[in-house]
Amino acid sequence: MNHALRRVSLACLVMFLLLLVNANYVQGFEAGKLANGPGNGRTFALQYQYQRGSIVTSDNVPIAASKHISGVYSFQRYYPAGATYAPVTGYDTPYTKTGIELAEDRLLAGTDPRLAVRNLIDLVTNKPRKGATVQLTFNSVAQQAAYQALKATGLPGGAVAIDPKTGGILALASYPSFNPNKLATLNGTALNKADQKYLNSPQQPLLNRAINETFPPGSTFKVVTSSAAFSSGKYNPDTRYYAPTNLKLPETTHQLINYDNSPCNDGSNPTGTGKVPLIFAFTVSCNTVFGGLGMHLGGAALRHQANAFGMNDPTLRIPMPVSASNYPPVSNPDYTAYSAIGQYSDTVTPLQEAMFAAAIANQGTLMRPYLVQKVIAPNLSTLVVTVPSELSHTVSPGVAAEVSRMMADVVAQPYGTAHSIVANLGGITVAGKTGTAQNGANNTGLDDAVFTGFAPVGNPQIAVGVVVKGGGLGADASAPVAVQIIKAYMSYLNSSKSK
Amino acid sequence: MSAVGTTGNGSGSTGAMPALGGAALLPRGRRGAELLMLAFAIGVVLFAYASVGLGLNGHVPTGLVTYGVLFAALMLGAHLAIRKLAPWADPLMLPLAALLNGLGLVMIYRLQESGRNGNPGSAISTMSASTTTFQLIWSAIGVIAFVAVLVVVREPRMLQRYTYTFGVIGLVLLALPALLPSSISEVPGTGAKIQVALGGFSIQPEEFAKLALAVFFAGYLVAKRDVLALAGRHVLGIALPRARDMGPVLIAWGASLLVLIFESDIGTSALFFGLFLIMLYIATQRTSWLLIGASLFVGGAYAASKLFAHVGVRFSIWLHPTLYTNVFCGNSSVHVPCVPSYQLAQGLYGLGFGGLLGTGLGHGQPYFTPLVQSDFIVTAFGEELGLTGLMALLLIYGLIVQRGMRAAIAVRDPFSKLLAGGLAFVIALQVFVIVGGVTQLIPLTGITTPFLSQGGSSLVASWMLIAVLMRISDTARRPAPQPIQDEGMTQVVRGI
Repeated sequence: MNHALRRVSLACLVMFLLLLVNANYVQGFEAGKLANGPGNGRTFALQYQYQRGSIVTSDNVPIAASKHISGVYSFQRYYPAGATYAPVTGYDTPYTKTGIELAEDRLLAGTDPRLAVRNLIDLVTNKPRKGATVQLTFNSVAQQAAYQALKATGLPGGAVAIDPKTGGILALASYPSFNPNKLATLNGTALNKADQKYLNSPQQPLLNRAINETFPPGSTFKVVTSSAAFSSGKYNPDTRYYAPTNLKLPETTHQLINYDNSPCNDGSNPTGTGKVPLIFAFTVSCNTVFGGLGMHLGGAALRHQANAFGMNDPTLRIPMPVSASNYPPVSNPDYTAYSAIGQYSDTVTPLQEAMFAAAIANQGTLMRPYLVQKVIAPNLSTLVVTVPSELSHTVSPGVAAEVSRMMADVVAQPYGTAHSIVANLGGITVAGKTGTAQNGANNTGLDDAVFTGFAPVGNPQIAVGVVVKGGGLGADASAPVAVQIIKAYMSYLNSSKSK
Repeated sequence: MSAVGTTGNGSGSTGAMPALGGAALLPRGRRGAELLMLAFAIGVVLFAYASVGLGLNGHVPTGLVTYGVLFAALMLGAHLAIRKLAPWADPLMLPLAALLNGLGLVMIYRLQESGRNGNPGSAISTMSASTTTFQLIWSAIGVIAFVAVLVVVREPRMLQRYTYTFGVIGLVLLALPALLPSSISEVPGTGAKIQVALGGFSIQPEEFAKLALAVFFAGYLVAKRDVLALAGRHVLGIALPRARDMGPVLIAWGASLLVLIFESDIGTSALFFGLFLIMLYIATQRTSWLLIGASLFVGGAYAASKLFAHVGVRFSIWLHPTLYTNVFCGNSSVHVPCVPSYQLAQGLYGLGFGGLLGTGLGHGQPYFTPLVQSDFIVTAFGEELGLTGLMALLLIYGLIVQRGMRAAIAVRDPFSKLLAGGLAFVIALQVFVIVGGVTQLIPLTGITTPFLSQGGSSLVASWMLIAVLMRISDTARRPAPQPIQDEGMTQVVRGI
């Protein structure tokens, strides 16, 4: 029987060989495919086995963090300030990510190649992998103020504050917002319910109005028109310009009128047939003056100036993609007149509004707006630091000073459209421009309130852009929001200086 | 040790005995080597146990000393029993079995702790917080059964006397679950009627039937092998057996089909029929029996896959285990009929996730695979110890099988030869069927993984199987009886 036994023994050997070869195939060759197979909960759960890095503001307030939990998933993402920072942090659901969570995902998750050496050391020393901390340019005080002020209006809108010298974004708020904690849940049913609720809500809470919705800029666009005019070298703030009560537009029966159909009267033009200085027309926001000026400058010059301020650029990232603010090519003189006062097809994001003011505040040099200040590895070494860079030269320093003087008058002069905010400023000097943009079919919609401005006038620290949809007069709805942000940030700067 | 052969403790440490009658080196018991390897096996197990705790929560498990001492004491007890009862037995088998048993306990502990006591993962609902304790108790019963077999069976040939008794016992054990009501015999959720469960306590009689039937086959085939080996007609150069000798094969085939149909247990059915065929082949050395048997089995299995839906489904699952439709039944398009492959897919995902080196004990997520602690325990090893660990496990099994075959070849008595060959083969077949099943080499049929799977019957039966193999190797390696006196034609031989 030994002969048969030897053969059976050999057969057993072959059986084990088959198992070994097959195991090599499954765990060697097929491993990657299987690990990512449909419904492999392991790969899915893996991203919750490690502590994801935090997102903190420049003043070190955590706005997204991971806490340890027990169960299949070891960590749970949470957002301490909820809706306030939601448009920036975005959310980190098991399926999708948005905002900074998406833009800096690999660093936060710790899978970025820049963390590879660190991970290798952790592997050897048997420490769990940890994600890097992303520090934003955000100022928590300014952001709180921005969100609370927007929320107080009860209307949809967005507000952005920029440090004009660097381009670092100090605040970026959108209302209505959402609670990212509801989307960070690891309970599939709860996640689905929250997701459906937000997606189906007519208020569109997931829309980041600060960078992804555009509004007509209204009279705030006069900053651009003025810049184009002064840059031509033919005009300065004191140039007197024709200021009719009604501006007849060529090739059409339409007439351009001033707000409330009032004449543009500085005392020398009671009948609406004479001229007024441009600085006066800017301060009281005469449409007829800037409509005429725009027609005279031409659509191409306006578009050139608008591009310099960052409009018509769909590639801007902060690092989230920013919707392009539009100033389309205009050839008809009548449409040019409308577009010169921020109507027709002009659209801007609240970020663009802040960029208008920031460029003027920084002597005409527009810094590239950015959110991520630096990335800090788990061992506290700095991985990435954003070095401020110029986005464009909008106007010469001289022109910027002229526009700045006009914007200061808007607030400082008793007849300025934003003079009403002075009482609340507590001594801070603000330069700005209001906008009250008509919209809707035949302009039947409620006017959008727009404001762009910076402070303090002498040494600008903060540039702000605010749009409140349906807010009415820019001075009534948007400027007070800007005031809240400016006051909060300036008091933060003063208190941190005194420390 | 005296110069004449005695049954003394046979310790290898005393070195070779003086050469007698010009013989070269006499076989040694090598119990010292066994002890050394056993200590190594226990060391590996304790290290793995500590590693589970460190992997799960960064702490060495509090039960390390208690469990470690209990496990080491058990295995040392088995070692001492071998020194006393089977001093010439193969020194490799106990360390290998101890290593498998110990690693099984470690993995069951790891799975039990998942999601419990603040550990990561989700708790496995089919395990309780005392599963490991029960498994340790079963290990103790297994070792006791191991010693009992060595005590009772002093000479393997004595089993031959009870050939038909074992045959009846085997058949009764095999048929028992089929005859009992489903409430007692069905494994919940599987539809397989393979257990006897009374008052929360269950045994799987087939595990013991396997041993009893192996003894019966060996006894029966040794008696009938001359007849069965007779050649009948030649077809295509193969000598077919005579038609009248086909009876036993047909009966075995019929019995295995009955098991398949009434107990819905493909794995056991294949195991028994395979065992019988191989023993028939070893006894008769006729390849024709293998061909006839194999074609009968393939034909039967094919017919069954067409006739019985639950058998057919196994084939579909095997072909498309990771098809989305199959992984998530009920949640898919209506165009593709769903075959529920969730368990197999999760097992494969675990293997893929483990890759070459594995996640490390306690770092994987084997709890995603349903019933991972029994049929799929190999995938848990593959996930946490990687391809490396899985190959090591397969090599341990391979070594046990080859040591068993070695004993079969070395032993003189045909009955013992056949029994050892059959038992060694049945381990190989069982490992092939279950490991091949969970790694998608062959269609999955649920049977236990010897020594590793959670469950008492398989563990106790495996220990008993190792005891029989060690008894046979003890007989094979025992030195021939030495004459007491050297002179004269008539010698007094001291019996052993």
